Amino acid sequence: MAVSLIGRADLMFDEKILVWRFNRGSKEAFQMIYEKYKDDLLGLAITLLRDSSLAEDVVHDVFVSFAGTTGTFHLSGTLKGYLSTCVANAARDKNRLRSRRDVGLDAAEAMPSDSGDPTEHAMDTEQSGRLMHLLEHLPYEQREVVLLHLHQEMRFKEIAKARGISINTVQSRYRYGLDKLRSIMNSEVIQ
Amino acid sequence: MKPAENIEEFVRLEKPHVMTGPKMDKRTLKDAFAAMNETLGANKPNVARRILRSRAAKLAAAAAIIVSVGLLMVYRNPPAPPKPLHTVRVAKSPAEMLTGMSLNMAWRRGGIEAIDEQSSRAFKMLNAKPAKATIQELLVELNGV
Repeated sequence: MAVSLIGRADLMFDEKILVWRFNRGSKEAFQMIYEKYKDDLLGLAITLLRDSSLAEDVVHDVFVSFAGTTGTFHLSGTLKGYLSTCVANAARDKNRLRSRRDVGLDAAEAMPSDSGDPTEHAMDTEQSGRLMHLLEHLPYEQREVVLLHLHQEMRFKEIAKARGISINTVQSRYRYGLDKLRSIMNSEVIQ
Repeated sequence: MKPAENIEEFVRLEKPHVMTGPKMDKRTLKDAFAAMNETLGANKPNVARRILRSRAAKLAAAAAIIVSVGLLMVYRNPPAPPKPLHTVRVAKSPAEMLTGMSLNMAWRRGGIEAIDEQSSRAFKMLNAKPAKATIQELLVELNGV
């Protein structure tokens, strides 16, 4: 526990320095931030949207708007938490737009990726594919909370603050999400 | 392990590991740097903005304004020059003017010049000493011729 707290403090200190340099217009600092979090954020966006092309757009947009805040950016929590929240918000907007256009997840999956190389975004294991399949059954809000907490290591308090909802709501979404996942897995095992 | 922990562990372990492609990196960095340049260009150091941001600079600016207003007021309405002290010359008799005390005061006031001036005035009042005397007049005075 103490080690984890120390590690978190170190990480926050490093991030503070990076953000300080970024605020002074250092492109090198921005690139370091990008290199550090791009894969993680793309993974989050893909898991939320199940669409590589849309996920790439989301990550691109988040980093471009983040770059536009140079000189005035103020970090209150962790940078990873901040960027993950931005990705989750942008993914939610994209998801809403997609729902309006009545594009289903299956159809969206077929959309080509900008990278041109489908193997780059391929899930590394069958298990990951299975998780994606399971998460698909969760409502978007529950999926978002489960991923932000378990994959992005954000605390419930951070998620609640970022989403502007109560911590109880976040915890209940998380609990319902896990319950649903468990029941799906159990029913798959029985079958 | 509790069932909840099982499922949490499962989700945690099955985090997908993806990598961005070089095309995406290039596009994102290019657009992000352009956005940074735009922001930095728009936020060029402006003296007024810097003053408004910094508390110390705000105080210094306020002090400078107060000092300059004060100086302006002083130069526009300079204080009146001090009026010379009006001394009243008290009339004294020649006898009083030539007393030891009076001459002593004159000495203190202006040295030998003051004594000379005071004596001249006293003699002038007495008419005791001619302003000018020729040698012949003095000889006449001495010899009675």
